[in-house]
Amino acid sequence: MDSTTTSLDFAVIGHQDSWDNIHGFVNGLRTSSQGELSLEKVKSIFPFIPPRELFRVEVNSITGKKINGVYIDTFIEPDKLDPRHLRANISKVQAALSTAKKLGARIVALGGFTSIVLEGNLVEYTSDETKFTTGNTLTTAYIVNGLIKAANQYNVKIEDSELLIIGATGDIGSACVQYFKNKCKKLLLCARNKRRLHALSERLATEGIKNESSTSLAELLYKADLIVCVASSSGLAFTKCKENVIICDAGYPKNLDTKIENNYRQIFHGGMGQVSEGFVFSPDYTDSFYQYPAPYVIHGCILEAMILAFANKYEAYSYGKGNITLERIAEIYKLGLKHGINIAPFYNSKGLCT
Amino acid sequence: METLKKELKSIEEFNVISDLFSQAITGELIGMSNFASLAETIDDYLEKIEAVEHANSERMHAEAFLGYAEKHGLNVNINLEGEYWRTVREHFLFYAKKRDFIACLFIQEVILESFAVSMYRDVGNALGGEAKKLFLEISAEEQEHLEHSSDILKAEFKKDPIAFLAKIEEVHFKCMTILAQFSATTDLRGHCGICNGDCMKGSLHHVGLKIETMRGNALALYAQALDNIGIPGEKSIIWIAQLPA
Ligand SMILES: NC(=O)c1ccc[n+]([C@@H]2O[C@H](COP(=O)([O-])OP(=O)(O)OC[C@H]3O[C@@H](n4cnc5c(N)ncnc54)[C@H](OP(=O)(O)O)[C@@H]3O)[C@@H](O)[C@H]2O)c1
Repeated sequence: MDSTTTSLDFAVIGHQDSWDNIHGFVNGLRTSSQGELSLEKVKSIFPFIPPRELFRVEVNSITGKKINGVYIDTFIEPDKLDPRHLRANISKVQAALSTAKKLGARIVALGGFTSIVLEGNLVEYTSDETKFTTGNTLTTAYIVNGLIKAANQYNVKIEDSELLIIGATGDIGSACVQYFKNKCKKLLLCARNKRRLHALSERLATEGIKNESSTSLAELLYKADLIVCVASSSGLAFTKCKENVIICDAGYPKNLDTKIENNYRQIFHGGMGQVSEGFVFSPDYTDSFYQYPAPYVIHGCILEAMILAFANKYEAYSYGKGNITLERIAEIYKLGLKHGINIAPFYNSKGLCT
Repeated sequence: METLKKELKSIEEFNVISDLFSQAITGELIGMSNFASLAETIDDYLEKIEAVEHANSERMHAEAFLGYAEKHGLNVNINLEGEYWRTVREHFLFYAKKRDFIACLFIQEVILESFAVSMYRDVGNALGGEAKKLFLEISAEEQEHLEHSSDILKAEFKKDPIAFLAKIEEVHFKCMTILAQFSATTDLRGHCGICNGDCMKGSLHHVGLKIETMRGNALALYAQALDNIGIPGEKSIIWIAQLPA
């Protein structure tokens, strides 16, 4: 692919999960004669690098269509995601958005933590040529369909289950609430902000939806048959869960299996999809990016931009908070299937789930 | 030698400030010499005049820094033969001899000016007072040089992207390697020949500076300058990652 291409079907804005990844990536760029840089040296340079495109991506559809995109890294430090660094992180994400525009990307997905930084407020960055999406609609589609698939696998009836949603008042969490509110026995809702949580719980109660809410995870955890986690996991303290609970770990970072004792039936990393016809990175940094136990696995939010590009649907599909609709969840999921993009096989940090 | 002024809190502070001025003056004199040599590589008479004007502006910067140093009794050491500055100048002359205007422009107005603009900003903000005004004014003028080169280099890139990238990559590795060694936490090529006594980098904290931050800010500005020229990010990230640190 020509690196001076001025128009791209899509762009993905992201950041690295860990210093180990970054250390490996930087040293992977160095020749043996240049020698390895210590982690300390990498840490002293990496955060200063302005956001830039790192590699091109070509994605294949089962229809034979190909689309071209680019991955732009924000160079946000993996251990500086908390609100104390909000200002610096906002300016990095904004610079990445400008890079995407400059490169002529027609649709841009904000991966991982980057959409949260801007709270999904992408309208002001949108232009006629470049549209932005948080990708949260497809992420929700993969979470809800993933949970249904996992429940079916274990013959767990959703209508007889109590479903706990951690992060229930968030963009993805509230869409999950909408999706499951008439499908399960009872909703258990958890978030930190009491007022927002209470308002949600009241609203559901007036609709006749059985629910219980608490800002204390421990109060709800032991009651849940099914759990969807769509909150940043760093602040979550897990106590005892029910025997045989099924957990969809879709927050950031996905590390609940390292926090919970081994009494669950299944825990899988949710919101993830797979491209059946694959994709090619150039340069090929697959050793450093998107390393999963199955091939061609990527986050749902990133896949949303790719699917929109395949469908020639260049629009701000997911934006702001609370705008995800059930119709759009169904639409984007179906569009993905048309191009061979579906939920990823279940896996967690130990590997593929059996 | 150390006519310590009242406002300086310690001998360490005096020494670091002296060394900072020594580096700035030497750098400006190298810039002056480079622009004078650059004028010889240019055929267009208007551009030639501009190069001489730039040389003159670097001379005035050097004089302004010298004036401050004299007024405050700083212990400055000017050495155009110091390891790092001499080597950068040698690379510049290599291209000037070949009448390679683009390579010369890239060394002087992108590589050296990125470091000057950024480091003067950091030093000025750390020193405060009259020194701050001086460093920030000169930084702003150097910023104009950086911007001036961007349009010329962008146009050159469009003409023949492959040849341009190959040339810039070569120049980057020759000259940025020197600056990366110079601005590493320890001098990777030995003593600079300018600082009085030991390398000043270990003493920068006496004036509230840190070499890691100064180098990081300078690299960031350099990376932005590459972006402005239109160099793809996937190339520049490799160039930067491959520098010594
Ligand atoms: N494919 C994927 O895997 C994928 C794609 C996109 C996003 N994500 C991840 O999904 C998560 C949700 O994204 P979003 O856009 O919906 O974010 P959001 O709108 O900011 O929602 C976050 C939700 O989590 C709650 N929360 C945060 N910390 C909590 C804690 N310690 N305990 C309980 N609740 C907590 C928030 O409410 P309070 O502030 O009131 O606590 C809010 O309800 C993020 O972690 C994001 O990184 C994953």
